Amino acid sequence: MVRGNLTESLPVSLGNASCSRCGEGFGVKEPIVNSGGEVWHTKCFVCAQCFQPFPEGIFYEFEGRKYCEHDFHVLFAPCCGSCNEFIIGRVIKAMNNNWHPNCFKCELCSSVLSDSGFVRNAGRALCHECNDREKAAGAGKYVCHKCHAIIEDGHIKFHAETYHPYHFNCKNCGVELDVEAREKEGELYCLRCHDKMGIPICGACRRPIEDARIINALGKQWHVEHFVCAKCEKPFLGSRHYEKKGLAYCEIHYHQLFGNVCYVCNQVVTGDVFQALNKSWCVQHFACSLCDIKMGPKTKFYELDLKPVCKKCYERFPGELKRRLAKAFKTSPRK
Amino acid sequence: MSKTKKSVDECKETKNPELDLVDRGISAISEITDLMSLRHLTRITLAHNKIEVIPPNIADLSNLEHLNVFNNHITELPITLSTMPNLRILNVGMNRLNSLPRGFGAFPSLEVLDLTYNNLSEKTLPANFFVMASLRALYMGDNEFEYLSPEIGLLKNLQILVLRENDLVALPKEIGELVRLRELHLQGNRLTVLPPELGNLDLVGSRQVVKLEDNPWVPPVADQLQVGMSHVMDYIRSETYKYLYGRHIAAGAPPPPKRIDRSKKISRKGQQHA
Repeated sequence: MVRGNLTESLPVSLGNASCSRCGEGFGVKEPIVNSGGEVWHTKCFVCAQCFQPFPEGIFYEFEGRKYCEHDFHVLFAPCCGSCNEFIIGRVIKAMNNNWHPNCFKCELCSSVLSDSGFVRNAGRALCHECNDREKAAGAGKYVCHKCHAIIEDGHIKFHAETYHPYHFNCKNCGVELDVEAREKEGELYCLRCHDKMGIPICGACRRPIEDARIINALGKQWHVEHFVCAKCEKPFLGSRHYEKKGLAYCEIHYHQLFGNVCYVCNQVVTGDVFQALNKSWCVQHFACSLCDIKMGPKTKFYELDLKPVCKKCYERFPGELKRRLAKAFKTSPRK
Repeated sequence: MSKTKKSVDECKETKNPELDLVDRGISAISEITDLMSLRHLTRITLAHNKIEVIPPNIADLSNLEHLNVFNNHITELPITLSTMPNLRILNVGMNRLNSLPRGFGAFPSLEVLDLTYNNLSEKTLPANFFVMASLRALYMGDNEFEYLSPEIGLLKNLQILVLRENDLVALPKEIGELVRLRELHLQGNRLTVLPPELGNLDLVGSRQVVKLEDNPWVPPVADQLQVGMSHVMDYIRSETYKYLYGRHIAAGAPPPPKRIDRSKKISRKGQQHA
């Protein structure tokens, strides 16, 4: 590619000269165009594409033909992948496209990549720094919002951004923070100072309870959703719970597991409890289930369908029932 | 003065809320003079008598919480019983009931219903029987049920269900909805399979009792029962069993024959048929 410039031709005697395009000679007074050692009629010195004279005499030459600037660009000049303008001069070929040197930029930080080199990352051209950061984020690593370096060891979150803990100091004691740092009311504190400020810690997950709703139970504090039945693990959500040996249970499972509900009065036994036949009784409510005669803890009794039956009632049973019960007793598995 | 009269008078004087008239040879409640004046009573026990009828006006004893007429000769119950606002425990076991009155299930606060040793079956239960939402124990051992209504699932508070020595040939899957159940007596029936839904219940534990003995179980269930109840529960939760159960139901094999001879039951006395 040669960019030519029309030099003002002088009326020199060129008697045997002929036009480079049409091969004809020149009239005596006819102006001659002279460029690069060749001569043309004025009407022959035109763009090889549009046959118009070159505006301002500027032409571009390619494979022996001369073109006006416009046609040359249309035919041969590359287009920039960024600004869509023709590229004159240095062309950056990258990412299957052409670019002005100043248009080829990192897609993340917009630094010019033409001289520093680039890395292809998921179809994007990135500078080395951004690429490293992207790779780190992809590998589950955080990038510090302050120094923009990858956080290798542990990060803290502050105002929804991640940071190296060492960029901060405890608001209270001034110690340089580590990953245990906690936020309270928009300030950062070391764990020691944070705990001293009386923020309740959930008895289940051991994390601070930031929620306004706090459950106080079993001598501890709990996230509402973490205070659950020890058996079914469903949150009580305000419903009544029952305590036993430092654990909380919902009504169903407390009674199922510890069941000190009197079989007769259906109330939780508060005083002494009498337990037999898979059931509990208030001591004063333990009686024969057939004649309701009161029985004491030492009274001998029989059972029918796991209900207590006094000796007198059992003896009154019809013979056929007694025989069936005796047979069932013999064949039933021992616990 | 008769012993019964003395007891009533004493109860009236001392305002004792509980009256025991056990084994007094009473053949009719109307014999008990002044009983209806004891409005403060919370419990009457009339076990081991010869009462044939409970009069409808028993409901006038509106404070009654506990009525026990175990081992009498009762053939019919008055519908007024079901309206008693405080009745929590009703024992009509070992009587001669062939049916229950229409609307019997209307009890507002019944907790324990003992129907043991009568002549009841699914054919003679009133339509609203299973609406007793407050019921926590239902004793129906020694009766003649062949099927249990799917409505059993409505008894959400049921903790104890006794169906010992009936003629049950199948259980409804709704039994798996009795989430509070901790005692289930099924021994001495004609059951061959258990609905897999029973596996939804927590019936294995130190406070749970399930009695399955003396039923013609299919061999896999019988085998698991040999090893223990927890094995049965694990087994009926398995996909293998669900498949087997589906096949068993689809096959529709005729139920095993009745095995219990009821001719000698005292609940049958005075009846024509054996």
